[in-house]
Amino acid sequence: MTDVGFVVAAYTVILGGIGLYAARLVRRLRTARQASLQIRRAADAALSAPDERR
Amino acid sequence: MKTRVLGFAGLAAVTAAAIYGLFVVPADLNQGDAQRIMYVHVASAWLAYASFGVTALAGIGYLWKRDLRFDAVALAGAEVGVMFTAFAIWGGMMWGRPVWGVYWQWEDPRLTTTALLLALYVGYLLLRRLTDDPARRASRAAVVGLIAAVDIPIVHFSVIWWRGLHQGPTIGDPGKILNPSAPLLFVAALMAMVAAFTLVWVYLMIRRYQLARVDWQIEEHGRLGRITAARRAGMAPAATTAGNEEPAS
Repeated sequence: MTDVGFVVAAYTVILGGIGLYAARLVRRLRTARQASLQIRRAADAALSAPDERR
Repeated sequence: MKTRVLGFAGLAAVTAAAIYGLFVVPADLNQGDAQRIMYVHVASAWLAYASFGVTALAGIGYLWKRDLRFDAVALAGAEVGVMFTAFAIWGGMMWGRPVWGVYWQWEDPRLTTTALLLALYVGYLLLRRLTDDPARRASRAAVVGLIAAVDIPIVHFSVIWWRGLHQGPTIGDPGKILNPSAPLLFVAALMAMVAAFTLVWVYLMIRRYQLARVDWQIEEHGRLGRITAARRAGMAPAATTAGNEEPAS
């Protein structure tokens, strides 16, 4: 491999890796926020609903 | 919104720094084009140090204040630091092959201590998965994070303390700060990449911290849900029994 090949390999993996990590992080955060919101809504609904056993 | 702007600013800065380092700055007389790898390699290594330093400081903060927000900061530092350490090693290998003739040499103290640093913080991240109890997890992680941080100065000063394949500091040497041995054009390209990577690093740290906080909230909801369900399950037979009890005669 030539010097330029090593430069391309280094920059592609490092910059591409940072980009992929950032994109995955944003996606994970969005999913987690949606899950948190759904859980909170379900908890609120459970609290406001009358207890069926009583 | 501000974090998103920071992300776009980081992306623009990295693009500009990469264009400058790859196409504007001339190739080094001795190392040729391979020298351009130094810009991303050194920036990755410095931010790995910064990340693990944040993890250690946040660990101290947690042990002192017992506030789980410190633990979220520590986790962000460790995960982002592992990524930057891996990229520093990769960049070093891609530079080492054309310049040294080898990708890796275990006898070199800088390379070996950096590999150890990576292993320590991968271990830190694995350790965090051993327990679901947030307080116990944070305490253990804080202690391990502090122990692992001992390797940071060892990595940095290894090129001064021991003889190896890796060259001594070009920029970080106190005697060379005002008169670096590298030409200013190269130093400017390196500093531009470090500044650009730092913007991205701040963005990633904030996002990872936010994710850790939301994950913790989900865990907490799950735990509260299980406790409530267990209490209801425990109360239901008791209530039934109480309702069927014969009045004492």
